[in-house]
Amino acid sequence: MEADGGAAPSQGQLAPPAVEAVAPPKVERLNPVVQQQLNLESVKTRALGLYKTISHILEDFEAFARSNTTPKWQDALGQFSMVSMDLFNIVEDIKNVSKAFVVYPRNVNAENATILPVMLSSKLLPEMEAEDTTKREQLLLGISGLPVHMQIEKLKTRIDMIGAACEAAEKVISDCRKAYGLGSRQGPTLVPTLDKVQAAKIQEQENLLRAAVNFGEGFRIPIDQRQLPTSLPSHLADVLSFGDGAQNLGDNAGAYGKNTSSFSSNQGVLQTAGGQLIGRSVPSPSNAVSFDNASTPPMAYANSPRSGTNIMNTPSPQQQVQQQQQQRQKILQLPHQQQLLVQQQLRQSSAAGVLGQGVMSQLHDLTGQTQQKLQQPMLQQQFQNRQLQTSHMPHNIAQNQINQGSQLRSHINQFSGSANSALFNAAQSSPNSQMITNMSASMQSQSLLPRIQFGLTGGHTQRNHPSQMLNDQMFGMGPSNPANMIAMQQQQQGGFGNISTHTQNLQSGMVNLPNTTQNPNFPQQRQQNQS
Amino acid sequence: MECVVQGIIETQHVEALQILLQGLCGVPKDRVRVHEFCLKSGPNLGVVPSEVRLLCDLAQPTPTWTVRHAGGAMRGAGAEQLSVLVRSVVESKVSNNALRFFYAVGYKLDHELLKIGFAFRFQRVVPITVTVTSANRMPRLHAIDDAVPLTPGIQLVEITAPAAGDNYNEVAAAVSSFCEYLVPLLHLSKPGVSTGIVPTAAAAASSLLSNSGGKAI
Repeated sequence: MEADGGAAPSQGQLAPPAVEAVAPPKVERLNPVVQQQLNLESVKTRALGLYKTISHILEDFEAFARSNTTPKWQDALGQFSMVSMDLFNIVEDIKNVSKAFVVYPRNVNAENATILPVMLSSKLLPEMEAEDTTKREQLLLGISGLPVHMQIEKLKTRIDMIGAACEAAEKVISDCRKAYGLGSRQGPTLVPTLDKVQAAKIQEQENLLRAAVNFGEGFRIPIDQRQLPTSLPSHLADVLSFGDGAQNLGDNAGAYGKNTSSFSSNQGVLQTAGGQLIGRSVPSPSNAVSFDNASTPPMAYANSPRSGTNIMNTPSPQQQVQQQQQQRQKILQLPHQQQLLVQQQLRQSSAAGVLGQGVMSQLHDLTGQTQQKLQQPMLQQQFQNRQLQTSHMPHNIAQNQINQGSQLRSHINQFSGSANSALFNAAQSSPNSQMITNMSASMQSQSLLPRIQFGLTGGHTQRNHPSQMLNDQMFGMGPSNPANMIAMQQQQQGGFGNISTHTQNLQSGMVNLPNTTQNPNFPQQRQQNQS
Repeated sequence: MECVVQGIIETQHVEALQILLQGLCGVPKDRVRVHEFCLKSGPNLGVVPSEVRLLCDLAQPTPTWTVRHAGGAMRGAGAEQLSVLVRSVVESKVSNNALRFFYAVGYKLDHELLKIGFAFRFQRVVPITVTVTSANRMPRLHAIDDAVPLTPGIQLVEITAPAAGDNYNEVAAAVSSFCEYLVPLLHLSKPGVSTGIVPTAAAAASSLLSNSGGKAI
């Protein structure tokens, strides 16, 4: 009897009843050992359980088919493998004792009468028989002529070789599974893990980056390296000026005294190469930065730390603004040294002789022209303060008027105010610090002070006394001039009448003399009358 | 107010992230090149220093300036449950005088950095902005041309969305759901919370690059 898989359950079910049916009527009993081995009860139980499982699975598939949902193939395959395993075990157990039994059909009716003999016959079907013979011939192809034991030997070696090949193939498959992380038929179970060293490095970099972006760690420049570069990027060129950068770095405590010191130290650093600076270095406004955006010059407060650079602002007339802007743009594009030369030329051409004493000589002497711009307005302011203090001059003179050109120089020589001579002497002989302190006396809250450092030449003979020029202009203005000045001033910051106090004198720079053309190079000061 | 999350990604995977974002957002990327000034207030403005950031957008033909103040994060049990950080933000466009103005008022430059990268701005329930940038530091003051990346191998990914007091929950949910799409490549979290990188990002990146190898945007 051949028990194929499909018929096994039914045969398994048939066999126990058949045996039971056979046993009682006949006298002969089964060998108790065989009976025990057969273990009919367990076989029955298992067969019934298997039957239920299979029917359950079939029901599930029918439900899937009805609801058009996709069955979970993983689970379905798992259940199928379980079922087949159970069946295999049952069949194995029965095969062990099947030799003791003969199976014969019990229910023979019209339905299976024709097929039963075929199912029960041990003879192969003709096709199966033909297949069997061809396979046999293939197997014994080369060795059929040998004696039987030789054939057996050869077949055994063949079997061994095939077995070895199968084992090698299994090994290769399992190795590949491990290499690709496939696991044993369970899908990817291995997750690529980072090397610990690498992970630590990445963690450290991440912390660095997060701290930097959120809190600024790692971007701060040490105090000693915080110097404005000589060439700023284009978007900062108009925005920043020298004074700003030096004063507004985080290391500054904000105190006025400290500002002074820090600023002067920076100035020393930024001293231009070609500058024949005498005495202390002078603030150099021409680092391609100090040219403020002419279109929007900021208000110059008396206490503003930036008032020094405000002197560089364009004068109120719009033409001057544009001219200055254009000029500065051109200058900006030049290399640094050339910028200095250009500035020098501009300064000189603008009749800088109106400036305070020390400035004139420097203008001619110094090749580092960057100081000029700051020096001129500074000194003018101080000079005006002096004058107004001592002589109570109610008029303020605009810087750009002061620079009206050589035509005014002649007037200056006539000037002989006492205050001017005092200032002149002081400027000639005193060191810068004294000058500064003197000025600080006159200009109380002038934050321009730290910016003003004179490079005075000792013993110079002044061709034109800027003070004289200045005063001459002041004398030249009649009593009606203040009104004219006010009228002509386009961007006046405060009451013009408050000139008597020193701090407000700085505003005088905005006044235009009626008989002079305005110098486009000299910006007006815009400072509030604040004390 | 805004909802914000941050994450990091290795520089080698940034291109794959760009492709993924391109597919998710459907808008072309914007170049980002921002010079950021972080200003801290001086003692004359109060005992507690406040911080203001000036952003100069250098990607435009004319640089545009923005001032931005980020307040403290929302706190409380509700905030802890959110996966995003909600904080108050004030932002405005300003003229290029802003830097001088702040200096004049009394602010000092605390630090500056240069952010270079790209950004995607799109609408998904709320307007969302995804920025992928590398933070560059300048060895000298304002020396933009000499800027070098602070962390060459890692770039920062930031996702922000504006929110109001009454809808920040929805905004947070929208941002969180968008972050789910980016899980194959990076983990996102509140700023300050470390996440690490995704170990399988390489595989995801290679699949992204290979799938879209023939597509040129």
